[in-house]
Amino acid sequence: MKEYIDFGVGKSPPQIEAQEKVCGSAQYIADLYRPNMLFGAILQSPYAHARIIAYEVSKARAMTGVRAIVTGDDVQEHWRMGAFIKDEHAIAKGKVRYVGEPVAAVAADTESIARAAISAIEVTYEELPAALTPQEALASGAAIIHENSADFVKVFETGTAGNLCSRTSFQEGNIEQGWRDSDLIFEGSYQTQPQAHVSLEPCGALAEIDASGRITLWSANQSVFRVQANVCESLGLPMSRLRCLTPRIGAGFGNKMEAHIQPIAALLAAKSRKAVKLILSREQDFEMVRARHPFEIRFKTGVKRDGTLVAREVELLADGGAFADDSPGVLGYALLMSCGPYKIPHAYCHGRLAYTNKMRFGAFRGFGVPQVAFAGETQIDEIADALKLDPIDFRCKNIKKDGDHWLGGQLIDSNGLAECLQKVRLSSGWDNGRVSPRDGVKRRALGVACSAHISGLLATGAIVRLLEDGTVLLNTGSVDIGQGSNTVLSQICAEALKIPLERVSVASPDTDGSPYNWGTTASRVTYMTGTSVIRAAGEVERKIKEHAAEIFECGIEDLEIIPGGLVALKGVAQKNISFAAISGRAHWAVGGPIIGTHTWVFEQKTVDPKRAVVVGLPFPQIGGFVFNATIVDAEIDETTGKCRVERAWSACDVGRAINPTMVEGQIEGGFVQGLGYALFEEMVWNGAAIANPTLMDYKIPTFVEAPREMHSIIVETNDPRGPYGAKSVGEMGMNSVAAAITNAVNAALNARLRCLPLTSERVLLAMLESDRTPTTP
Amino acid sequence: MAGSPLFRPRLLAEALELLAETPDARPISGGATLVAMINAGLVAPPALVSLTRIEELRGVNILENGDIFIGAAVKHNAIATDGRLTGTAGVVSHAASQIAGTAVRNMGTIGGALSHADPGQDFPPALCAVDAVVEVASKDRRRKVPVREFFIDWFTTALEPGEIVVGVKIPKPVPGVGLYLKHARVSGDFAIASVALSVAADGQVRVAIGGCGPKPITSGDADAILSSEKSRVAIGRAGDILTALSNPLDDVRGSAAYRRLLIPRMLQRAIEDAAASKH
Amino acid sequence: MTVRTLTTLQINGVQTDARVALSDTLLTLVRDHCYLTGAKRGCNQGVCGACTVLTDGVPVRACITLALDCDDKQVSTIEGLGEEPTMQALQHAFINCGAFQCGFCTSGMLIAALALLRNNPRPSADDVRYALSGNLCRCTGYKKIVEAVLSASEAISDRNTP
Repeated sequence: MKEYIDFGVGKSPPQIEAQEKVCGSAQYIADLYRPNMLFGAILQSPYAHARIIAYEVSKARAMTGVRAIVTGDDVQEHWRMGAFIKDEHAIAKGKVRYVGEPVAAVAADTESIARAAISAIEVTYEELPAALTPQEALASGAAIIHENSADFVKVFETGTAGNLCSRTSFQEGNIEQGWRDSDLIFEGSYQTQPQAHVSLEPCGALAEIDASGRITLWSANQSVFRVQANVCESLGLPMSRLRCLTPRIGAGFGNKMEAHIQPIAALLAAKSRKAVKLILSREQDFEMVRARHPFEIRFKTGVKRDGTLVAREVELLADGGAFADDSPGVLGYALLMSCGPYKIPHAYCHGRLAYTNKMRFGAFRGFGVPQVAFAGETQIDEIADALKLDPIDFRCKNIKKDGDHWLGGQLIDSNGLAECLQKVRLSSGWDNGRVSPRDGVKRRALGVACSAHISGLLATGAIVRLLEDGTVLLNTGSVDIGQGSNTVLSQICAEALKIPLERVSVASPDTDGSPYNWGTTASRVTYMTGTSVIRAAGEVERKIKEHAAEIFECGIEDLEIIPGGLVALKGVAQKNISFAAISGRAHWAVGGPIIGTHTWVFEQKTVDPKRAVVVGLPFPQIGGFVFNATIVDAEIDETTGKCRVERAWSACDVGRAINPTMVEGQIEGGFVQGLGYALFEEMVWNGAAIANPTLMDYKIPTFVEAPREMHSIIVETNDPRGPYGAKSVGEMGMNSVAAAITNAVNAALNARLRCLPLTSERVLLAMLESDRTPTTP
Repeated sequence: MAGSPLFRPRLLAEALELLAETPDARPISGGATLVAMINAGLVAPPALVSLTRIEELRGVNILENGDIFIGAAVKHNAIATDGRLTGTAGVVSHAASQIAGTAVRNMGTIGGALSHADPGQDFPPALCAVDAVVEVASKDRRRKVPVREFFIDWFTTALEPGEIVVGVKIPKPVPGVGLYLKHARVSGDFAIASVALSVAADGQVRVAIGGCGPKPITSGDADAILSSEKSRVAIGRAGDILTALSNPLDDVRGSAAYRRLLIPRMLQRAIEDAAASKH
Repeated sequence: MTVRTLTTLQINGVQTDARVALSDTLLTLVRDHCYLTGAKRGCNQGVCGACTVLTDGVPVRACITLALDCDDKQVSTIEGLGEEPTMQALQHAFINCGAFQCGFCTSGMLIAALALLRNNPRPSADDVRYALSGNLCRCTGYKKIVEAVLSASEAISDRNTP
């Protein structure tokens, strides 16, 4: 019973995988071995854009130990994958579209033979002009990256034309009226940089084929079901011919959601008829998976003199890279979130997404929000300064409340943003003064920002099986990428059935046996899958009670589940029977094994056509809003311009914290990933190639850069629809960070930085510029 | 180990003999840099001569005249924590403590660092700031090269084929302050720019700038100015001289213009820090 | 044809004989020869720290250590350190503080922390940050790792104080 009390909802049991992770026995994709397996290697394109004229593979094929070679010739033209636009082959076919794109792959007896064989393959290319930026790509006369884009299967009305991959727009109110109603109008252009996910585990896959030709595929992923869909679409396979599994995952942050090299591993296994393991090097992981989109952003905001927001126009131009991947979703979602959590009656938010000859950009924690929050929240500070309003007061005056509608029209009925702002305001000592006196060595100031995210979309299910001995197997198909969802879902299941946590085990995601789960992405697992777990457990409870009612000869309504895996007569706890006894009866005598199932798809409409005119949005049904307010105390070294965040306060309205320690972990981890994004992380393209595809040259924060003091503040609003009131936290902690840091730096320097990252160089130049400019009284 | 492409001699003479006989062989010490390059496929030496077992290359010893001799195979961590590097020589241990992270400092050696001559490294400017002398040897001869003459160009040193660094001699430390001011994106990264500074109690100054050109930037004139005067104006003049001598690149760590801007600013900061730490 | 040389070393106290090529690293040896997969290949460049192991008691990067240069040496991986009380205290603290999420960096992080506590049983928070700064974690934001190491240090010293 003690365990039940300790580890139910709202408590913080350790991860159920904790023991294996601290002993080194947790198995990630690179740790899997199969008897007589082969090793794969990939040949990458040296060109940003070129036609493939011929492959010369005879030398490689003749090498001892080489078992299979695959190229674009092994896939058919119409075998294409893609979450929104099916534009991508398993491996380059006909053309290469970015430097580093997989062109050929080898399976061989050893890794070194595979690598040697790769260098023996000769590919003849005819180089084509490349378009390396959205501006170049959308200019007239630009080389066309996908000539046959009109033929691609698309899951929404994309507006694809030439190198325009897709576009989306929202209109609410009347923007022209909005400008007329505004006393002051602020306009600024902002730029954000490509950021690499840098999951510590590089991507990889292991595929094997059985005698009937059915393929089993383990891979580092965020969704076994998206792996299955992508591999089958890109290899022309019926989905029933591919089984996808997942080992432990060394984090994802979005880069393992859609396909990486799983189709190539499957192709090598199919061709060699053997198990093939293909693990990317860190460099390849940088060069051929995906990254956060760089955005060009224009924000124009109109405001009344009293600080009431009136109108906003947002224009985004996003670099999608060579393939659409999740980019149309990122663009649409960024626009949906681009008015922030504010009431702005007149809005026009529109954006374009361009194909370019770069690696694809895609899902990354925040999904476009860190970019638009950077622009929007730094502009909010600019407006507050101009109106001589306290930045938090100004925000509080304009934030949406329960009963308000999100951009597009969705009703908000669970909103803890005001409380988040209040909590960070009080705990940071905001009102004691934002900007510290200068000491000639460092400058220091507090900065604030807030933002929102969503918790629900697409389809999910759960199967709860009562085993013969009364313990429970929970099977959801959701991939725990390290954040602890297996533990959280187990806690929810244990709470629903009032059993100790250790009586719940979690089935590993397996497309053969798990219910469909779209994926571990979009901050959705606790909210979506947690809901399914409660409902499936409820079905188990009902069936248990049906048995007990027969045994006790009473009505179902006279029974209740009591802690410890027992069902009892209401109010007569000693008149009880165990789950084990009932499960035994069900398995061997009456009714059959007890299994509860639940599936659902998020159906809340994003857009109310009476409120908004929307073109092109690929997500018609997303919502369940969460909120965050972040304050940082940033210090700038006057000598070098280097900014360091000494202290940080991040308050998240998560609905309800199922596991508070894990919620804190998401807030802290999201903060530090956001700090890297704010200050120094940037993938740099030198011409057509990535200049820093290594951890030597691409730097993420270390222990030393993390704030000395990090305060994670959990705000609980108990969402009426979420499981036990929970919403989400996976992305929320990252969204406001770059904006808050920029606002602190701007306050400390009396500057307006509009370009990420805030490298020490940019900050120093801004400081010197600001010091040269006399301040107007 | 007969027939192994990795030679692990126990005597320096053996190592030098092997390197003379096997021109394709490369010496390897801690391996921190060379093995990473092998992993990345940047180099594929057919044979390696490991220097890790050679007693003569190990240890930090005080010579009779008070000079300090650091063997080529001494690890960064040993230098970072060696209490004998006092006074002005503190710049060397201070620099060592800021290289990469603990595990890499347990692997990397000063001889390897000098031989690789990556201009972003921390030892080269620090050793310039104490006028260290590099001792090199080949099968046929042993010679001493002042550290300011040891670095020639990007990744290029005065080492001739068959020669290796056997150690570094640091002149007897004098009372004063030695400090290494490093500016990098994150802890353990290569410097965007760095200032290695020694200020003796009698006011004598030696300064070297790292990360701003093919080799550490030093100037007798700048040293002379700073030795006689530490006013803002004097520091500015010395900074201008060093900036004029710099030849930085634009790279992912920062632009050349930024690095030029940093040199006088970081010099000012380093001299102020040195003055403050005297108390 | 690649020349392979027999090398003999102690891995987790077990004499291990392996035929390795010049370019094979200690990481390849422990993972692909011994199937000790607790040490991870995160960058193969010595930067991330996920491959940290002890050689002769000192933490090093297995990915940039030549296997042949470990002949005669004692190597300890996470799998071989579970009996050591300091490691047990660290593992316990990592679990209870939530000091890992995905766990990919954890083996290396624990070994780096073990080396720290062996040298400095009562480190400050800043000592921990400096000593572990060469080990990257992308999940936790580091706060809970610092807390775990400090908590393990306290537990050990409580145990050692009569």
